[in-house]
Amino acid sequence: MRTSGDALVLLLAGGVGSRLNLLVEKRAKPAVTFGGIYRIIDFSLSNVMNSGLTRVGVLTQYKPLSLMSHISTGEPWDFTGRSRVVKILPPRTGSKDSDWYQGTADAVRRNVDFIEANESNEVLILSGDHIYHMDFDAMLEFHRSKQADVTVGMMVVPREQIHQFGAGITNDDGRIVEWEEKPEVPKTNLASMGIYVFSRDYLLNSLGRSRDEIDFGMHILPWAIDNDNVFAYPFYGYWRDVGTIQAYWEANMDLLRQDGSISPEKWQIRTNVESEYRTADRPAARYGSHARVQNSWISAGCKIQGTVLNSVLSPGVVVEEGACIKDSILFRDCVVERGAEVDLVISDKATRFGQNTIVGTGDHHDIVNRLHPKHLYTGITLVGESAQVPEGMKVGRNCIIKCNAREDEFTTPVLQDGESLT
Amino acid sequence: MLRPTTLAMILAGGRADELNVLTYYRPKAAVPYGGFARVIDFALSNLMNSGIEQIAILSQYRSYSLINHIGTGAAWDMIGRFRGVSILPPFIDSEQQDWYRGSADAVYKNLDFVQYHNPEEILILSGDHIYQMDYRDVIAYHHEKDADLTVVCKKVEKARASRFGMAHLDEEDGDRGGKLITYQEKSENPEGEWSSLTVLCFKPRVLYQVLEENQADESFEFGRDIIPRLMRQGSRIYGYKFDGYWGYTRTVKEYWSANMDLLGDQPLVDLEQWGIRTNLDHRELRDYQPALFGSDAEVCNSLVYNGCVVEGTVRNSILFPGVHVGPGSVIENSVIFFSNKIGKNCMFDKLVSDVNTVYEDGVQIGIDHGKTDREIAVVGWNNRVPAGTRLGCGVTVSPRLDRDKWPALLEAGRVLR
Repeated sequence: MRTSGDALVLLLAGGVGSRLNLLVEKRAKPAVTFGGIYRIIDFSLSNVMNSGLTRVGVLTQYKPLSLMSHISTGEPWDFTGRSRVVKILPPRTGSKDSDWYQGTADAVRRNVDFIEANESNEVLILSGDHIYHMDFDAMLEFHRSKQADVTVGMMVVPREQIHQFGAGITNDDGRIVEWEEKPEVPKTNLASMGIYVFSRDYLLNSLGRSRDEIDFGMHILPWAIDNDNVFAYPFYGYWRDVGTIQAYWEANMDLLRQDGSISPEKWQIRTNVESEYRTADRPAARYGSHARVQNSWISAGCKIQGTVLNSVLSPGVVVEEGACIKDSILFRDCVVERGAEVDLVISDKATRFGQNTIVGTGDHHDIVNRLHPKHLYTGITLVGESAQVPEGMKVGRNCIIKCNAREDEFTTPVLQDGESLT
Repeated sequence: MLRPTTLAMILAGGRADELNVLTYYRPKAAVPYGGFARVIDFALSNLMNSGIEQIAILSQYRSYSLINHIGTGAAWDMIGRFRGVSILPPFIDSEQQDWYRGSADAVYKNLDFVQYHNPEEILILSGDHIYQMDYRDVIAYHHEKDADLTVVCKKVEKARASRFGMAHLDEEDGDRGGKLITYQEKSENPEGEWSSLTVLCFKPRVLYQVLEENQADESFEFGRDIIPRLMRQGSRIYGYKFDGYWGYTRTVKEYWSANMDLLGDQPLVDLEQWGIRTNLDHRELRDYQPALFGSDAEVCNSLVYNGCVVEGTVRNSILFPGVHVGPGSVIENSVIFFSNKIGKNCMFDKLVSDVNTVYEDGVQIGIDHGKTDREIAVVGWNNRVPAGTRLGCGVTVSPRLDRDKWPALLEAGRVLR
């Protein structure tokens, strides 16, 4: 039985997430596969469902098709019914401003009609980019008990990471007294998770103030902290921003830890099994007589004859005899042929690694990618959707192989560390 | 919009006594198979893949599990303006007060449903078998021959023939089929070598009439009564020859063997290739996370579905969703149904374990060293097996036993109630 009031949820899912490189070439960041069968946005949507909230608007902008088909009617998250809804809110051209969303607050401002049309006491604003498990009902309770105007979900992060976040200083009561957006020299280690509860009228007033206030962290929150009641809701669980290739890889690897720090099933994370081609409707994974599988996460429909170590496999991945996959993430229907080695690789869907190919070889994890040094610098090699890596090819560390790469486009037998096939 | 012309009726009312504890609480058609599916999924998926879209399921024994499994029929793409699955349970009305007295009686009692759909042909199937078939070929042959009834048949050895309805076919169409010359149901020494697979394609008019006539009899089975009656009347009956895989699940041994046929590098049963679907909403299959293998896990020649956590060793076995295998445990030649939790240092060989059973640490089942040709042990659902319990090979254990009923050692072949 639901006990809380029904806050309106706005899910910001429009960002490009360009640091995920190839993985966001054809889809928005929230639609990127995670943990074999999930999409990143499933975590936010499932948290909303499990918190008993029933009305959601999803703000899209960048390459929304994959995301829209994934959200579909909202049935996987129980958002169908007379008074339950998940609505896709695409950008619209206004009478004056025909441009795209300028920032988070601007995006919400342009959907004020959706907020006005859905009565609620509070509006919960989330991002669709994070891997976490959180009870928003408890956060809403906190918001009400503090009689706050705004409540910000915050958690402690290592000091060296604080420059990526909004940072807040709180008093003993949990009130935020000082705010810095992405500070170079941090005064605190309390970071904003990009999760906000606004009292509805307060939100509408704030958005009505000035069209120049385009961002929550930069504009709306600092003003509110200076003038009104803004509280920090402390969060202690698992939460990761998977906006970089390294963070994305690490969060996937966290699935393999037996300490249960991240457990989609226990967290009751739901996904849409019908949107992508055969996410489900696959038989049990088949392990051959020479299979060796350790410390790995393997979806139904895989066929494993070779070796899989410390890896995450989406449905339908085929690992032939003598092939070896290590420390890697393979999306659906990748094929690793006989004798191929795949080491520290993230591969988008339906790629093929030809016989005896070695992708991810050598010890030069420190030779960064020449084209995208800020994306690939820890040794991870990226392979784009449907790429065909020819037989016997050698590919080094921090390499990029473009989407749909054909065999004849590999003009040399070796792709050196840090190089890209574009 | 294309209206379906074929009506398929699946016979799913039976229990199969020989499956023992596996069918205490479910009909045979709803018995789990293949690491995620149910036996009836084969008939349903074959129908879907054959483009047959109007289906009725005749259900009687403990029908809830089946009703739950079929759901809306959406899993097999069977909802739409002219697509649907209807479950037809027994009922009482002003004329009759009985349960279904047999498969033919079940269809007879639903003739108003059948006639409402006004099909051009009626396909009667059993929901109990593991096979892949394109029924369109059968229906095409049926029409080509202008048959009153077409019976799908498979060749079996004489030694096994006494269990089946056996037909003698002439050579009219070579490997494709032929006219039924004789038909004998479960005869010790049948003339024919072609067994009926309980896949029957009827001309509707003929079916309506023979079911009506059959009502005066004492027995109401398609194999035992309807086919012989039509033979006596000189109807045009043809046999369609099928030579694909045919898996029986009538006894525990057959059932276990049909599961083992899923394994090996060239499995006889390839669910991927066959396009078998199940209802992912049943037991919330779709909500399981991918399988997790620990750092000391070993798995070979096995099927493992999502939701499993394997920390021990799994060989030649099939794990359904949500099975946990603790460290040091070794599971061999076994079929472990949904959500079994196996503790540390257990050893199982040749076990079929029904759903939701918990094995505490150090349980041994079917470990009789040196003994060959061991029987299959079966443990019923919702049990909690105390730590260190040893069960001999071929034992049968009832569902939901009280904790004080468990002996430290149960000899091979015994039954624990």
